[in-house]
Amino acid sequence: LARRRRLQVVVSSLLTEAGFESAEKAAVETLTEMLQSYISEIGRSAKSYCEHTARTQPTLSDIVVTLVEMGFNVETLPVYAKRSQRMVITAPPVTNQPVTPKALTAGQNKPHPSHIPGHFPEFPDPHTYIKTPTYREPVSDYQVLREKAASQRRDVERALTRFMAKTGETQSLFKDDVSTFPLIAARPFTVPYLTALLPSELEMQQMEETDSSEQDDQTDTENLPLHMSTDDSGPEKENASVLQQNTSLAGSRNGEENVIDNPYLRPVKKPKIRRKK
Amino acid sequence: RMNRKKGDKGFESPRPTTHQVVCINNINFQRKSVVGYVELTIFPTVANLNRIKLSSKQCRIYRVRVNDLEAAFIYNDPTLEVCHHESKQRNLNYFSNAYAAAVSAVDPDAGNGELCIKVPSELWKHVDEMKVLKVHINFSLDQPKGGLHFVVPSMEGSMAERGAHVFSCGYQNSTRFWFPCVDSYSELCTWKLEYTVDAAMVAVSNGDLVETVYTHDMRKKTFHYMLTIPTAASNISLAIGPFEILVDPYMHEVTHFCLPQLLPLLKHTTSYLHEVFEFYEEILTCRYPYSCFKTVFIDEAYVEVAAYASMSIFSTNLLHSAMIIDETPLTRRCLAQALAQQFFGCFISRMSWSDEWVLKGISGYIYGLWMKKTFGVNEYRHWIKQELDQIVAYELKTGGVLLHPIFGGGKEKDNPASHLHFSIKHPHTLSWEYYTMFQCKAHLVMRLIENRISMEFMLQVFNKLLSLASTASSQKFQSHMWSQMLVSTSGFLKSISNVSGKDIQPLIKQWVDQSGVVKFYGSFAFNRKRNVLELEIKQDYTSPGTQKYVGPLKVTVQELDGSFNHTLQIEENSLKHDIPCHSKSRRNKKKKIPLMNGEEVEMELSAMDADSPLLWIRIDPDMSVLRKVEFEQSDFMWQYQLRYERDVVAQEAAILALEKFPTPASRLALTDILEQEQCFYRVRMLACFCLAKIANSMVSTWTGPPAMKSLFTRMFCCKTCPNIVKTNNFMNFQSYFLQKTMPVAMALLRDVHNLCPKEVLMFILDLIKYNDNRKNKFSDNYYRAELIDALANSVTPAVSVNNEVRTLDNLNPDVRLILEEITRFLNMEKLLPSYRHTITVSCLKAIRVLQKNGHVPSDPALFKSYAEYGHFIDVRIAALEAVVDYTK
Repeated sequence: LARRRRLQVVVSSLLTEAGFESAEKAAVETLTEMLQSYISEIGRSAKSYCEHTARTQPTLSDIVVTLVEMGFNVETLPVYAKRSQRMVITAPPVTNQPVTPKALTAGQNKPHPSHIPGHFPEFPDPHTYIKTPTYREPVSDYQVLREKAASQRRDVERALTRFMAKTGETQSLFKDDVSTFPLIAARPFTVPYLTALLPSELEMQQMEETDSSEQDDQTDTENLPLHMSTDDSGPEKENASVLQQNTSLAGSRNGEENVIDNPYLRPVKKPKIRRKK
Repeated sequence: RMNRKKGDKGFESPRPTTHQVVCINNINFQRKSVVGYVELTIFPTVANLNRIKLSSKQCRIYRVRVNDLEAAFIYNDPTLEVCHHESKQRNLNYFSNAYAAAVSAVDPDAGNGELCIKVPSELWKHVDEMKVLKVHINFSLDQPKGGLHFVVPSMEGSMAERGAHVFSCGYQNSTRFWFPCVDSYSELCTWKLEYTVDAAMVAVSNGDLVETVYTHDMRKKTFHYMLTIPTAASNISLAIGPFEILVDPYMHEVTHFCLPQLLPLLKHTTSYLHEVFEFYEEILTCRYPYSCFKTVFIDEAYVEVAAYASMSIFSTNLLHSAMIIDETPLTRRCLAQALAQQFFGCFISRMSWSDEWVLKGISGYIYGLWMKKTFGVNEYRHWIKQELDQIVAYELKTGGVLLHPIFGGGKEKDNPASHLHFSIKHPHTLSWEYYTMFQCKAHLVMRLIENRISMEFMLQVFNKLLSLASTASSQKFQSHMWSQMLVSTSGFLKSISNVSGKDIQPLIKQWVDQSGVVKFYGSFAFNRKRNVLELEIKQDYTSPGTQKYVGPLKVTVQELDGSFNHTLQIEENSLKHDIPCHSKSRRNKKKKIPLMNGEEVEMELSAMDADSPLLWIRIDPDMSVLRKVEFEQSDFMWQYQLRYERDVVAQEAAILALEKFPTPASRLALTDILEQEQCFYRVRMLACFCLAKIANSMVSTWTGPPAMKSLFTRMFCCKTCPNIVKTNNFMNFQSYFLQKTMPVAMALLRDVHNLCPKEVLMFILDLIKYNDNRKNKFSDNYYRAELIDALANSVTPAVSVNNEVRTLDNLNPDVRLILEEITRFLNMEKLLPSYRHTITVSCLKAIRVLQKNGHVPSDPALFKSYAEYGHFIDVRIAALEAVVDYTK
């Protein structure tokens, strides 16, 4: 903004030089804009020329070529510069840059190595990139993990079983003591084979995780019971209307053709009205 | 017509049935009762048949009609009261005789029966003209004690929701327990079976399901079955329940049934069955005889496997998921057994009780062939040896098992089973154990016949029996032809001699017509001068259960130059046999030795006797005699036999023999076997236990870590932290079985104070602690159960000061650790039960061990609660065993 204000001053003084007494604000603005882009273009173009010749700092000749390229007659420049009626603009007052509160510096910033020119920004604070390796060998890491997993599981199991034992009926191996080795009381099941044979949910989950190839089979199994249930649903609805009967009949007949002819999959027949004797 | 062949039976049925209808109209699960009727179509074969005897037990008979005429009947079951108010002679012998007489009086094989029907006099003329009689019997059954078993869980909901079911069961011919019939394996007829059941239930029975029809109120449906293949009443079966239905994806004629919720298990369990079908059909070159096959898995099964015409009833406990390793081979064996019996036992039935051995023998034999193909020769030979050891042990302990008893005129002197406390005349008077051993011997004898006539001929004989039967079965209403479907001993032997042209009479006489096994004692000396092996073979034929063997006996001698077979003739008085040796004794440290199978193996020979070229000697290596061999050879010979003989039976024999030689050389031989991955896993498992025994005998000189510890560490523990076991991976079953067994064997180790070394106990506790199954495809329930067994094995008797009462305060610290684990495991089982509750079973056993060794007060209360109805059967059995143990 300050730069722009200076450019405005420059434009105004040039206008005065050219004999204007006043100018509309919009006209000054436009001229300032033009001047700014002109100077910017010189800078940009000069930078390109300089980089083209593998340098980092533009030289006079870069500027000259730029000006030539932009259609400016360079020879007129010294004359114009030494014109008599030129106005001198006072240097802008040095304003104290607002001190940005220094971010908490931790440690010394690294100085630039020799191949980086000094004008480049400084390295960031060391804490932003320095890593501190933690020293633990992977071997014992595994061991500790296993140890942790094992004792964690054991603790959970013990706590859980103790809780269950405390809140329910227990049996004990020692008559005088019921708390040291509390055994959850044995309770008979109504259908004992179910718990004994079916894998627990945990195991089912595990099975899915460890073996995805069998999932294809799983979807296969779904088909059959589904097929079955269409057969079974008939008898369960006791007041099944004739219509329903027919649909289920048709449904499973389709099934037969497509899948399997098995007497147990066939629909249940309706009773004969008259019984032969 | 009287043109039926008399055969072995020597008896002609006066009431041949050609067709029978069984109709069960009502089944009440609440009251456990059944109501129905049967109708038998009878062709009289003798004039003046005025009484018809049928078999029926525990049925209430309401009404009997013969050709629609009311008939009088008498019902008398003498087995209900065996000793009529007899109070003087209360002894087993008296009971046994009375019981045999009672069973005999109603023996359906002899034309007797509990139900005697008087043919109405109006029909006598009709009978004399040999015209058809139709006997219609209305009956009911209330709370049957046998024959039909009701399983009714006590919970809320309808019977179907509760999973209530009923099935037929029983030992031998016991169909008369649930409907009146001719309950004999030798009387065949065709069947029509009808069952009216709740609409939510399924009735599974023999033959083809023709149709299923609703009753008028639509609440029930009737299953109509037709069995057109002539079948004995004893092979009729039934299962009714709210079954889930699975049509076999490979064979659509095969249907599987299981109780609700178990369908995924059923699918996995039966997924293998079609291979068994293919195997049998291929070796027998014969189609499966029935048009369909059904498997039903039910709870509270009477036996694990029961085979009936075109269906088999299995225990639901055989079902398993893909995660279970140990149960899988067992279940497959059950399936294969059941299927073998479909051919021989169901389709082909027996002429009489004394021909039972042929059927059991053939079905057991073809099942053995399936075993060989499925599990390999090692497993097969191991099984044969196991069966042989069993029958030998039983006969030596209890007395002979006679396969083909011939009964004279009932003279007590001739009684071939005088050593037994029961009569072997009838299947129903036998002890269960005797019958089990009988089946075992039958298939072993079939194998002996195979050895004699070759497997090809054997299978040809079976094929011939089957094709004759299947021709006969397609004949309609010609019951005299149907006798082709019955096998008899003489018919079987005739078929063998026709097919093979060989005389197997001596073999039959030795093993079938007489009981007993052979007991050999062998020892040898090497005569250096003559370069001859002097073998001495003695027999014990005076002890009970033994018999004298005369005939050829194979001896295999492994010498330096190779393995040589010799066939000795065992005769009356020759004890010594000279066997010329082929190789001179030579002194090389190492040598390539040719083995029996042609393999050449380099052996370190420095352990050998310098003067003898003999490496090892085996008597009857092919197990072609039903025998027990006790052979003496020196320890190094057993070690060579263990290391280099390729036959697993020889390896196992060597391991057992090495127990008596606790030397560093034996230790090394056993350790080497343990490490050898090509070695049969059962041999390696056996070696573990032998190694433990040897280590204990060598305890004062033992060096290094406890036996097997470093091996276990190397095989199953992490490379970087050897005290932690790897996370479980049971993909390799051989190492899985070894991983399970090694800790159990290690726990048997004892130090100089006869205590389990602390190091071993801590090792096992660590295995339990670090056990991690999260990444495993398989369940670790059997592994964990065996770790608990290992803990139990480590327990030694408590040091007790003047019989103090066991309390917590004086608990041994090691025992405290063990108890801690057992408590946790047993409690976890309540929350996350393991498959078949294997862990509970192991915990109960371990607790009993702790009690017995005086660490924990001996109190049966815990076991009594686990023995109650409602616990899983394995748990109940373990608890009951513990309770019974208090009496010991």
